[in-house]
Amino acid sequence: MQITVSNLKKSFGGRTVLDIESLTFESGKITGIIGPNGAGKTTLLNIIAGIDMDFEGEVEYSGEEYSTVKREITMVFQKGGLLKRSVFENISYPLKLRGINKNEIQQTASELMKFLGIEELSGKKAHKISGGETQRVVLARALAIKPKALLLDEPTASIDPEYMETIERCIVDYNRNSKATIIIITHSMDQARRLCDNIVLIERGRVGEADGFF
Amino acid sequence: MDYIAEGFKTAIELLISFDPQVYKIIILSVFVSSTATAIAATVSIPLGIFAGISNFRLKRLFSKVLYSMMSVPSVIVGLVVAIGLSRRGPLGFMQLLYTPAAMIIAQALLVFPLCLGLTYSLAKNRGSDIERIGKTLGAGKLQGIVLIIRELKAELFINVVTTFSRAISEVGAVMIVGGNIKGHTRVITTSIAMLNSMGDYPMAIALGLVLLIISFAINAVIYSLQEE
Repeated sequence: MQITVSNLKKSFGGRTVLDIESLTFESGKITGIIGPNGAGKTTLLNIIAGIDMDFEGEVEYSGEEYSTVKREITMVFQKGGLLKRSVFENISYPLKLRGINKNEIQQTASELMKFLGIEELSGKKAHKISGGETQRVVLARALAIKPKALLLDEPTASIDPEYMETIERCIVDYNRNSKATIIIITHSMDQARRLCDNIVLIERGRVGEADGFF
Repeated sequence: MDYIAEGFKTAIELLISFDPQVYKIIILSVFVSSTATAIAATVSIPLGIFAGISNFRLKRLFSKVLYSMMSVPSVIVGLVVAIGLSRRGPLGFMQLLYTPAAMIIAQALLVFPLCLGLTYSLAKNRGSDIERIGKTLGAGKLQGIVLIIRELKAELFINVVTTFSRAISEVGAVMIVGGNIKGHTRVITTSIAMLNSMGDYPMAIALGLVLLIISFAINAVIYSLQEE
């Protein structure tokens, strides 16, 4: 899924926080978004994810509108985002929303938990697991719906290097296997170099020059 | 001072002996207040969540009006309902005045803004994050509201218990629309008010003790849920 942003403007209380004339996220590629704090990276991702609909301009998803593709896009937040239920129930929730039968839900959830090394957490309450485990569960839940566009807002911020490696491996594997478009916000240049095919620099709400990062 | 001690003794005897008159009053009180709370909660919880997570014009005004309505005096609600249900009133043909149904209507109207306000405030503070999670996973608006109710069920239950507490302890509205008719619309609070004016302290103390036990039980539930 190619995501194209055109003439995008977003303001908070009269202050323009995003002003992007044109930006394209190539289909099947992993694009990293880098930039200082408060540059508008998360706001951009929220707009692409359809969470924030209050903006000027257009966002197209392979020529389609958001309403057509909304169930093919998902986002992983920087912190938390788990529901107050077991890990298994968290992963199965988006599948239940899509009316998928119990056996298929069980199979998909088991495969993903194995893929991310969280099988032993299946029955645990989500609020009783560690930060690193939380991020793996959140990623598993996002991958459960096999999204055509996966948006990640600093998915490895403040977690152990061991967990970071697992999460990065899963992101790359999913991209290779599914050819999904992945956009990842990161503060780590090393992570951007390791994972991304392209890099976009956002500074003061505008797209900057990101050449020279590779 | 003896009459107070005697009052407590007789009150305990009335409760232990399952005095039919006392228990009829207790059962009617619990029935009226729990039905009113259930009606108010069924409407106000989805509505409060929807309002809390939605952005609409005049939302600030809505908040101010709602929070003001939360403390509306019960006698005002009773008066409005009584006028509406009186024989010459717009709903007089229903012949509900001085019936338990009228008391349920009055209490439901009295506690509706309280339950709505508590739910609205909860959803405004915590509902948006849950809705955002639901949205990224493919939930529509209605599924989002259901998700918020499930995620905040403990907090919502506390709100409902608080609402019930307000309903069962009020006296003004049920007195006006129920009329405190013996064996028909007499509830704990109206009985205590009447028994006090008659000087029948043992019965008044017995009912007062029941009301206190209900209040303690409600608080115990709230505290245990908050600790969780």
